[in-house]
Amino acid sequence: MAFSVPVFELKQVSQQFGQFSALRNISLQIYPGERVALVGSSGAGKSTLLRLLNGSVRSTRGEVWAMGRNLSQLNSKRLRQIQQQIGTIYQQLNLVDNLRVIHNVNAGHLGRWSFFKALASLMVPLEVETAVKALSQVGIAEKLYERTDRLSGGQQQRVAIARVLVQNPLVILADEPIASLDPELSREIMDLLQNLAEQADRTLVVSLHDVDFARSHCDRMIGLRQGQILFDAAPHQVSPDLIADLYRLESH
Amino acid sequence: MTVITPALKWGLIGLAAIVLSLLQAGLFRQDLFNLNGVPLLWRFIVASVHPDLSTELLQTTFSATVTTLAYAVCGTFFSVILGMIGGVLASEVWWLSFGQPSRCWLLIRAAIAVPRAIHELIWGLFFVNIWGLDPLTAIVAIAIPFGAITAKVFSEILDETPRTPLLILLNSGVSPLTAFFYSLLPQAFLNLLSYVFYRFECSIRSAAVLGIIGAGGLGYEIFLSLQSLRYEQLWTFFYALFILNGLVDLSSAWLRRRLGCSSRIDLNLQQNKSKTPQKAAQNYFILIPIALFLLTLCFWYINPDFSKFWAPRTQQLFGQFVRSALPPDFSGVPQLIPQAIETVSMSVLAIAFSAFGGLLLAFPAANNFFLPGGLLNQQGNGSLPQIMFLLSRAVLLICRAIPAPIWALVVLFVMFPGILPGAIALGLHNLGILGRLMAEVIENQDQRPLAALKAQGAPNSLIFLYGVLPLTMPRFLAYSLYRWEVCMRETVIVGLVGAGGLGRSLTEQLSSFDYQALIVTLGGFLMLTFLVDWVSANARRSLR
Amino acid sequence: MKKILFSGFLFLSLLSLGACSSTTSPDAAKPVTQKTFTTGAIPDQDPEKLQRLYSKLSKYLEAELKVPVAYKPVTDYTAAVTAFKVGDLDMVWFGGLTGVQARLQVPGAEAIAQRDIDSQFHSLFIANKKSGIQPIQNLKDLTTLKGHSFTFGSESSTSGRLMPQYFLQQAGVKLEGDFKGQAGFSKNHDATIELVTAGTYDAGVVNEQVWQKRLKEGKIDLNQVEVIWRSPAFFDYHWVMNPSVKERFGADFPQRVQATLMKLDPNVPDQKEILELFGAAKFVPTKNENYATIEQVGRAIGKIK
Repeated sequence: MAFSVPVFELKQVSQQFGQFSALRNISLQIYPGERVALVGSSGAGKSTLLRLLNGSVRSTRGEVWAMGRNLSQLNSKRLRQIQQQIGTIYQQLNLVDNLRVIHNVNAGHLGRWSFFKALASLMVPLEVETAVKALSQVGIAEKLYERTDRLSGGQQQRVAIARVLVQNPLVILADEPIASLDPELSREIMDLLQNLAEQADRTLVVSLHDVDFARSHCDRMIGLRQGQILFDAAPHQVSPDLIADLYRLESH
Repeated sequence: MTVITPALKWGLIGLAAIVLSLLQAGLFRQDLFNLNGVPLLWRFIVASVHPDLSTELLQTTFSATVTTLAYAVCGTFFSVILGMIGGVLASEVWWLSFGQPSRCWLLIRAAIAVPRAIHELIWGLFFVNIWGLDPLTAIVAIAIPFGAITAKVFSEILDETPRTPLLILLNSGVSPLTAFFYSLLPQAFLNLLSYVFYRFECSIRSAAVLGIIGAGGLGYEIFLSLQSLRYEQLWTFFYALFILNGLVDLSSAWLRRRLGCSSRIDLNLQQNKSKTPQKAAQNYFILIPIALFLLTLCFWYINPDFSKFWAPRTQQLFGQFVRSALPPDFSGVPQLIPQAIETVSMSVLAIAFSAFGGLLLAFPAANNFFLPGGLLNQQGNGSLPQIMFLLSRAVLLICRAIPAPIWALVVLFVMFPGILPGAIALGLHNLGILGRLMAEVIENQDQRPLAALKAQGAPNSLIFLYGVLPLTMPRFLAYSLYRWEVCMRETVIVGLVGAGGLGRSLTEQLSSFDYQALIVTLGGFLMLTFLVDWVSANARRSLR
Repeated sequence: MKKILFSGFLFLSLLSLGACSSTTSPDAAKPVTQKTFTTGAIPDQDPEKLQRLYSKLSKYLEAELKVPVAYKPVTDYTAAVTAFKVGDLDMVWFGGLTGVQARLQVPGAEAIAQRDIDSQFHSLFIANKKSGIQPIQNLKDLTTLKGHSFTFGSESSTSGRLMPQYFLQQAGVKLEGDFKGQAGFSKNHDATIELVTAGTYDAGVVNEQVWQKRLKEGKIDLNQVEVIWRSPAFFDYHWVMNPSVKERFGADFPQRVQATLMKLDPNVPDQKEILELFGAAKFVPTKNENYATIEQVGRAIGKIK
């Protein structure tokens, strides 16, 4: 695996938001099929890292490469082509909540669909079978025509995952997908993500608060603290001391 | 496969209403356009580039502008006072805090629906019959309907404010009045204040409209110069009106931002309203004296004759008016029915026109969309979006600054009298208001779902289709329905200048001093207004 | 930013202070004192012209009557009647119809004077030359207007609406359906001339005196617009006096005003100008009874209830 081309490569990347530096001089490579957990306290830079990876923000310094392309040098059309291969699941779900579930799931097609096909599908939903398949995979097939904002938080998270399934990307990014769920649901969602990644040999990068889930569901852990990489190792190599270090309260 | 949802049902009803209204307006059947009037319209447009800037006219313009501003300030002052009293009395929670689950609030809410349904201009025409053209007429004509609207909105805000703190105070034995003032009012204060600013913006527009009945100010001067066909002067007044409206809107927006209330009116569509106020206490400290100073200045400038409230002559003229209006003369009712249908059609066409136009202009006019750094232009290139931004904002300002009856007179250059010119005039005026409200919806829109679509590689057009449109549309429609109610009330005032519908009857009855028939027409108009309010409220509920 | 706004307010307030003290602010904002004799007029022509005419007349009346006289403009005919009823206006130059409407609402109000021309007043039907409407000889031929667009003056105008509507009715022309589009209301005679000249409306009807005067001033382009018919004569404009002036200025005040108006002399240059602006050789006395026909027609058309 280590011999193939990396899916993501960060070369000395720093990210500033005004005065605040979210990431400092990060270099790392992520290879196809890896399941990477990003761990660290709030504000450590996990979300920023994910947003750099999916091309939502451009790095202040350094280069972000995805699938062999330098993201900052792509025009918007080429960037979109890369982005179609990256599916992202967010903590706040970020669904269009007054559309019906099917449309939110079908939104996974938007990188490929023409304008008129998308418009037509809003009137009479198209590719319903794909959507049903995706929704059954996440276990809520019966919610197809429900309005999204009528669903519970856990169900909405499944809709978001179904959307990524429909998008059928090479990489799945997930930003704290279980932050607002109870332990039982959290396990189900994490199992789901792990299965999805394993089934199609997809790469998974997931940021997590919960170190236990990181250990049980991923094969690589990257610890971030104050915008810098504290450790980058296989779960069994990450000692409790390292974790304690990661969450250690900082006195500035 | 589609399911007939309530929203879809209302959509179809709306579409049918628009088509029927177009037929009613005589599309494809009658001569609507009067192309012979084009040269005159051209003269009018050409005059915009060389307004009359003589010293004398500028002096007139200046004092007219101050008069209009003063009417608006004084009118708002009284409507807020009326609104506060009425709003508290019409709120369920007020009666609740006295421990009597009475239905009084419902009665009061029903009672304030009547003054609310009658347009300022009609109130103005009524008070002219009693007080003449005293500034008092203009102020009270604004204060009564606006007071009632404010009361309704205030009562709704109060009832929607969380009650737990109030109940805790009540349960710990605090007297109801104290509990009310210590819990509910502070909680609701920002929303109330935000609405007051919005009312003030509306008052400026109303003060201009009232000029048409001779109450002075910019509307009066505009009306006179339009009658004399002196377009160069007209444009001077127009520019003054644009500047006045623009300044008021800007300063009101700025103040609201300072105080931490983001949107003008919140139509029950739970939005995150109050952002943290910046140094609020310090702001009030500066603002209150300024407001008081401005208020005193305005009262002093227009100098309304308050003694007229209790003058015996007022009673006498009021009595005379009432006697001349009784008993109502119902003989004209058969004529009223087709006119009532025309009026509703006019309001439907007007709102369809302004919703469509507002939709087109709102996106370029929003500051977070096409502009560099905005959602659909993150690369930040191009001066075109900047130009579009300024242009669309200017168009919206011009549309809403010019009163609907003045628009009607302009449209009548190139159209025959009828409901279509009235609808276009109302549509133009409301477009300016609606587009502005829509732009605000876009600016306050949660960006995260859109960013999510963008991150998976969806092109801009599809982000618009699957994100922006579904997220903003319910609010757009809610605002449009709300403006439809306003349009319905305003059909009267374009009717006064010859644009058809019940307004035309009203004009004839006014000029014949036939108050017995007038009162029947007004009654019919009230019923129509309530009908439209009811339909709109139902449609809005289905959008939530 | 705060500072800018604050100084803005301050600036605005200072300016308005200035505007107020320099007395350039218009009459509308100031209440008229009890002892001012307030005149008004129906806005039948260009409001600017009215303003000029009535300021001259006010000056003359003030000098002759030795009381302060003010002219207060209004926006439409109905407003003139209302203002007269409420007491905002003491003496108003009304048209035939509005004068009757006003007197019916103010018991004791008197018609005191009119111009020499007002007892034999005429309406002129005018048409744009391109419309193809030919001049006609008698009333019955008004049917030639059918199928053309047509505009009246004000809703309450005697020469621009009431009598013309009456004549049209006699000729069998219906307001609804016989014209192209709905009949318009231009609001005043100058606007009617302008709209028909421009072709906005094919035809219209105006007050003969305004037409003659504009013709003399060279304001009318006879290549564009022509008179197609002169109506039979009727009583029109007159001064109506509110009885309340007797309390304030003495019981003989109406007579004094009447005499002052009669006294206008074409041989005195200043007074000649006033008469010319009115389009009259002199003023003559009149009385309420002269307008009985107008009242009848008004009731028949529905403008008087």
